[in-house]
Amino acid sequence: MTGRRTGRALLAGGLLLTLLAAGCGVRPSAVITGRPPISGPAQGSWLYLLAQDELVLVLRPVNTDPSPAAALSLLAAGPQENERAQGFTSDVPAGLDPVTVTAGDNKSGDLTVRANIAAQALSGRAVDQIICTTVAAAAQVSAANAATTVTIVGSDGARAPRACPIR
Amino acid sequence: MTQWRRVGAWVSGLRVRLLLAFALLGVTTTVAVAGGSYFQARNVILQQAQDAAVMSLTDQLTKVYPIAQLPPTQDDLQLLAQRLSDRESFAVVVYRDMRAQGGSELADPLTPELRQKVRDGRIAWQRVSLSGEPALLIGTQLALDRPDGTSRPSGVEVYSVRNLVPEQQSIDRLASRAWLTGGLSLVLAVLLALLSARGVLRPVRDLSRAARRLGEGDLSTRLTVRGADELADVARTFNDTAGTLERQVGELRRLESDARRFVADVSHELRTPLAAMTAVTDVLDEEAEHLPGDAGRAARLVSQETQNLTQLVNDLIEISRFDSGTARLALDDVDVAAAVTATLRIRGWLDRVRTELPPGIVARLDPRRLDVIVANLVGNAFRHGAEPVSVRLGADPDWVTIEVADRGPGLDPEVLPHVFDRLYKADTARTRSEGSGLGLAISWENARLHRHGERRGSLVAGNGTHGGAVFTLRLPRETADAGGAR
Repeated sequence: MTGRRTGRALLAGGLLLTLLAAGCGVRPSAVITGRPPISGPAQGSWLYLLAQDELVLVLRPVNTDPSPAAALSLLAAGPQENERAQGFTSDVPAGLDPVTVTAGDNKSGDLTVRANIAAQALSGRAVDQIICTTVAAAAQVSAANAATTVTIVGSDGARAPRACPIR
Repeated sequence: MTQWRRVGAWVSGLRVRLLLAFALLGVTTTVAVAGGSYFQARNVILQQAQDAAVMSLTDQLTKVYPIAQLPPTQDDLQLLAQRLSDRESFAVVVYRDMRAQGGSELADPLTPELRQKVRDGRIAWQRVSLSGEPALLIGTQLALDRPDGTSRPSGVEVYSVRNLVPEQQSIDRLASRAWLTGGLSLVLAVLLALLSARGVLRPVRDLSRAARRLGEGDLSTRLTVRGADELADVARTFNDTAGTLERQVGELRRLESDARRFVADVSHELRTPLAAMTAVTDVLDEEAEHLPGDAGRAARLVSQETQNLTQLVNDLIEISRFDSGTARLALDDVDVAAAVTATLRIRGWLDRVRTELPPGIVARLDPRRLDVIVANLVGNAFRHGAEPVSVRLGADPDWVTIEVADRGPGLDPEVLPHVFDRLYKADTARTRSEGSGLGLAISWENARLHRHGERRGSLVAGNGTHGGAVFTLRLPRETADAGGAR
């Protein structure tokens, strides 16, 4: 009886000591997450190029004309030397320029892009590039937002209106 | 074996148990308190260090804006990494496949799970062990504000690697202080336990000693009652019990001594009339032959019974002398063989007893009492046993041994323990024996009266290997008169 009691006491003491020894010092931890990342202003034109087949935001420091049409002209010109060196490409045909962008009169400010290209023949990624770049540039000058849809009208007709897939 | 038992008794003893209980209590309390506060303090220290590091990083990063060019060049990344590195930390900046590191040559401290969380769009941090030293990794993306209030990830990830060795040192100091506190409290607990064990054990030891003295017959033993706790209650109860015991034993002793004095007094009072009766019965004895029939028989009967009564009264007086402690030895250097032979001759038993008496054994003892013992034993053998009766004398440097044996039926095992009781009747059917019933008791007392130092005379009854009772008398060869002490 006494032996069993002593054994139990020893066990409890040993457990406590083990716990104490194991909890000593600074132990590695799991990943702890906090608030969303810090955010700040950006200068220049927002373009969307492709890198490894996905849309990537690119900032061009030159910013003489903030209009969506100017941004689309930059997009049509393709990646610059340094961007190409880092593996950026573009699916948008150079024939997109000249281009006009008109805003609809409904509340969300839906946009229409008109150019002398075969709109139906554009690849899906090229369409996304055009739409996202247009919306990003329009946001600088008007009330466009993530829900704003863009209709691309070409020489062979219009594509169905879409919103930028990047939120 | 005994030593193990003693060790076991010591281990399970009150002192060790108290010591263990106190030590366990002290250690448990200290572990709970010191351990709890240690954990809390550690968590607070780490929390504060982490929060401060995250705050400092975000503060520094706000100065990076506005961002004018994406994708950044390797030089841009390197510049940013250098700007974010200082003495306590260094930065790693990642953009897609590009990577810049400021200040340290460590290979790649970033963990995949941390990078995943950062890519998912959160500020995240993690404690890791970098080449044996604790470090804190903090990571965040740089996001870009949009005019509509939302933000877009720029793809630039900034990680800060901060050394946690100063925090580890403070925590280690806390731990060593906790251990020190624990050790001190253990020492304190042991001291307290020893103190309280002494407080409890002293009365218990006193009680044990007093109980032993009481058991050894010192009925006047009392404890001093200290305080008013349970142990004092026990001491008080012990004193009450001892007092009651002493009173009752005293009462019993008084009653017994009263009874003995009464017997002695009665015996003395009977002596004078008996002397007169003896004188008369002597005359009657002489005349009995001339008296006719019944009158003669009656005269002889009266004479016989008067003799028995005289014997009984003399024996009672003898016994009462032993009881009152007034019996004295009259010591003399005695040739034991001659003394035994004289005893047998006087009673006319010399030719009926087989004797084995080596001459030349001299002992210092009381010849009258030796005579009484031998006469009693031999007479008893004739009366209750069967002939031949033998008397054998033996001696060694310390003891004289006289063995009286008969060839009768021997002593019943049930009778053996009571042979030396006073007035004990072995045969219940024979209510009137020829002796007084005190002879063996007197012999036993006489044997016990002979003592020398630790050696004390004895008389033992038993049965011989060939049947028949054997009485063995052993007397110390050198006897000092103990002054009648019993």
